[in-house]
Amino acid sequence: MSKADSPAQVVEFVRAARAGKAPFEIVAGGTRRNVGAPLGDLPLLDVSGLSGILKYEPEELIVTAQPATPLAEIAAVLAEKNQRLGFDPADWSKLLKSNGVATLAGAASCDASGSGRLRHGGPRDSLLGFEAVNGLGESFRGGSKVVKNVTGFDLPKLMCGAYGTLSVLTEMTFRVYPKPQYAAILCLADVTVEDGFAALRRIARSALEPAGLAYLPARMMADVGQGAALIKLEGAREPLEQKIALAHGLLGQAMHRIEEDIFPTIGNGEKFADLTGDVWRVMIAPSDAPRVAKDLNVSHWLGDWAGGLIWLAAAPSEAARIRKIAADAKGQAMLLRASAESRALHGLYAPQPPSLAALNRAVKAAFDPLSLFNPGRL
Amino acid sequence: MLLPPTDSKIVARRAEIVAALKEIVPDGVVADPSGLATFDTDALSAYHQMPLVCVLPSNREQVSAILKYAGAEGVPIVPRGAGTSLSGGALPREDGILIGMGRMKRILEIDYENGCVVVEPGVTNLNITKAVEANGFYYAPDPSSQVACTIGGNVAENSGGLHCLKYGLTTNNLLGVTMVLPGGEIVTLGGKSGAQGGLDLLGLVTGSEGLLGVVVEVVVKILRKAPVTRTLLASFDSVPAAGACVAAIIADGVVPAAMEFMDRPAAEAIESYNQPGYPPGAEAILIIDADGVEADVSHAVSRVIDIVAKCGGQTVEATDEKQRARIWSGRKAAFAAMGKLAPDMICMDGSIPRHALPSVLEEMAKLSQKHGLGFCNVFHAGDGNLHPLIIFDTMKPGEFERAEAFGADILRLCVKVGGVLSGEHGVGIEKRDLMTEQFTESDLEQQHRVKCAFDGQGLFNPGKVFPTLSACVEQGHIHVHGAQLPHPHLPRF
Repeated sequence: MSKADSPAQVVEFVRAARAGKAPFEIVAGGTRRNVGAPLGDLPLLDVSGLSGILKYEPEELIVTAQPATPLAEIAAVLAEKNQRLGFDPADWSKLLKSNGVATLAGAASCDASGSGRLRHGGPRDSLLGFEAVNGLGESFRGGSKVVKNVTGFDLPKLMCGAYGTLSVLTEMTFRVYPKPQYAAILCLADVTVEDGFAALRRIARSALEPAGLAYLPARMMADVGQGAALIKLEGAREPLEQKIALAHGLLGQAMHRIEEDIFPTIGNGEKFADLTGDVWRVMIAPSDAPRVAKDLNVSHWLGDWAGGLIWLAAAPSEAARIRKIAADAKGQAMLLRASAESRALHGLYAPQPPSLAALNRAVKAAFDPLSLFNPGRL
Repeated sequence: MLLPPTDSKIVARRAEIVAALKEIVPDGVVADPSGLATFDTDALSAYHQMPLVCVLPSNREQVSAILKYAGAEGVPIVPRGAGTSLSGGALPREDGILIGMGRMKRILEIDYENGCVVVEPGVTNLNITKAVEANGFYYAPDPSSQVACTIGGNVAENSGGLHCLKYGLTTNNLLGVTMVLPGGEIVTLGGKSGAQGGLDLLGLVTGSEGLLGVVVEVVVKILRKAPVTRTLLASFDSVPAAGACVAAIIADGVVPAAMEFMDRPAAEAIESYNQPGYPPGAEAILIIDADGVEADVSHAVSRVIDIVAKCGGQTVEATDEKQRARIWSGRKAAFAAMGKLAPDMICMDGSIPRHALPSVLEEMAKLSQKHGLGFCNVFHAGDGNLHPLIIFDTMKPGEFERAEAFGADILRLCVKVGGVLSGEHGVGIEKRDLMTEQFTESDLEQQHRVKCAFDGQGLFNPGKVFPTLSACVEQGHIHVHGAQLPHPHLPRF
C-alpha cells in the first residue's frame, strides 16, 4: 500500500502507475470499499492523509476541505456556525460492518445521500468545485469556489457518484446551508402502504419544505400497527409549530411526535445492518412506491424520499427479479451490500443501453484513458 | 473574436445540403436569405452571421436524422432555442446547419404526484409555470427573459435568475433529459426517478452550451408556490455597510428568496426612469424577498429588519402587492434606465465572493477612470453574481474599444478576487478568450477531452466556450445602441 499525503504525492503516484500501466484502488476512510464490482487484489493508494478543512467561510456559504476529511469533523465544525453541508451525507459503515471512518469524498463519490436529499438534493447539488489528478497524472480543477458559476463544463457533477473511477480528488468545495434550529418528527401510525405513501407525497408537494419523508412497514418499526408514515419538519420555534399544524391540516389525521430522530438511521441503512441477505436501494418515481413494494414482495423493506427510494434486503437468488422490477418501473436498482461473487455477477447497477454505456466509457476515458482508477467498480 | 475558419467546401455544397435536409424535414427548412436573416444573431447582437441553412425539426426522429446526416457529411451544427443567449451561444456559422428547436414545444405530461413536468425543448420557461400555476405550482428557475427563452436553451446554458440562492439553477431543478448525440444516437439521462445508473451525464450536459448534443425532451421539477412572500427595501449610507449587511443576513441563517443590490448610480438612474420609490441619497440599496409559510417569513423579515438596523441601514416594507411589484419593476428596468444615460452600454456577468464586493466596487471605480467611461452596478447579492453596466457612445472614436477593454478588466478582476467569468450568461463566444484567465491549460484540456468524448468530430457549436490559441481579441458582451436591446421587451438580469 502506498500513501499520498499531498496532491504532489498523488501526482507522483499516478504518473508511476501510468508508466507501469498498473491500475489501483483509491482508499480514504475505507468504509465503502465493498460497494460496487470487486476490484480484486489491486495495489492501494491510501489518501487518508489528505484530511482537514482548508477554508470555511460561513458568510459565503462555502467550505473547502481535503477529500478524506471525516464527515463527523465537517458536521461538527459547520454546526459551530449553525450550518450544515448542502447535502445530507449517508454513512454506510454500520451497514457494511466497516471500522473505517466515513469521509467527504467517500460520500460524494458514492452519491450517498440520506433522507435530507428531499430538501437540497444530493452531493451533485452542493459540490461547487474540486481539484483532482486525472489519469494522465495532471492536476486540474473543475467548477469554482463561488456559489453561482456557469463557466465551462460542470465537472463537479461528474465527480459525484463516479465511485472514484474518473480522478483522484485532492480538494473539494461545497455549498453549505443554515442549520434549522429545531426539528420535529411526526408519525402517522397504522397506515397501509398505499395510504402511507399518499400522505408522504401530499407533504412532499406542499410548501412545508420537509427534511425527511419515509414509510416503514410494521416489521421495520415497533408499535405502529400496519406501518408508519414519518415526516420530518424543520425551522425556528414558531415556524416549526406552524408547519406541524399545517401538516396535520393537510392530512386531516392525528399524528404523534417522536422524540428520537430516526432519519439518520434510515439514511445510513442501519435498519438493514443486522439482516441477512443482499441490501438494495431501488430508485423510482415516488408514486410507483406502493406498487413496486408490492411487486418486490420481500419481508424487510422501507421507503424513503417520499417513495423515491426503496431500501430492501433479499436473498442473493432474488437479484434478477429485483432488477427486472426496477427496470419495469423505469428506475434503478443499486446493489449496495452483497458478497463479492454477487457484486461481480450483478454489478452496482443494471447494464445500461449500449449507446449510453458507450458514452459512459468514453467520458471515463476522457479522464482516465488507461483505466487506472478503481477499474470496473461502477 | 474569431471563429474557426469557414470551410468553403461545405459552403460550396449548400444546395445539396439543403436538399438533404428537405428530405428529412420537408416543411421545416429555411434557406432563403430573408428567412435566414431572422436567425443571424442572438441577444449578443454585436455579432451577426447568416447560417448556411436553418432547419426546424418537429420531432426527435427528425433531429436524429439531421445529426446523423451532419455527422456523416462533416457539417457543423449550431443548436438554437429562442435565441435569447447573452453570450452568443446561438451565433450561426456560414458553414453550419442552424437547428432551431422552437417547433418542438409540446408539454407532454404534467405529473403532480411526482412533482414534475415532461416537456419538449421549445417550451418557454414561463409556459411551464403557466401550465401548473392554477394548481399552485411553479417552475423555480426564472431568468429575466423567461417569457421568451426556452427550456432547451435553459438546459444548454444552466440558466439562473433572481431566486437561485434559495432554489438553485436549472441543473438543480432537472430530473432528466433525452438528447440526440452527435451522429444521431438518442440517449435518456435520468427520468422521473432522477437515477442514471452510471456517471452523472445529466449534470454534465446541463450548461454545456450546445457543445455536446441536442436536447429533445426535459423532465423538470415543479414546486408548490410559497403561500407568503414579503419584500423589504433597505438603504445604506455606504457600499461597505450594505456589503456587511448581506454577509450578516446570510451568517444569521436567513436564506432570502432574492437579495438584490444596486449602487447609487444605478438606483438614481432607475428612480428617474420609472419612479419605483427608492430612497433618495442612498449609496446602496438592497431589495430582499422572503418566502415560505407565514411564520417562516415573519421570522425572516424580523431578523432582516434587525440586522439592517445594526448595519446602520433603514428598512421599508412593501405594504401590498402593488408596492411589491413597483419595487421590483424598478430593479427589472435597470438596463433600460441606464440606456437613458448614454447611447450605448455593455453588460458584464461575473461572480465574486460576496466579501469582495466593497473592494471590487472600489477597484471598478479606478478602472472607470482609467478607461474614461461611466458604469453602474446591479448585483444578485445573495449569490455574488455581479452585473456591471458600462455606458459609452459608439459614435465617439475609440469608446467601443475602451468599453470592451473595461469589461475585460472587470472580468479579470472577478477572477483575481476568487470569482468566475460567468454567473449565469454562459461563456459562448463572448467570454471565450478570457477562459485562460480562470482556467489553467490542464483544466481546459480536461474539459476539452470531455467534449471530444461526445463530439469527436468537433462539429457541435465550434468556436464557442473554448479559446483558440490564435485568437486574442477580447470583445463581445451585450452591445446596446440607443437603449435598444435585442428583444427590447424582455426584462434583463
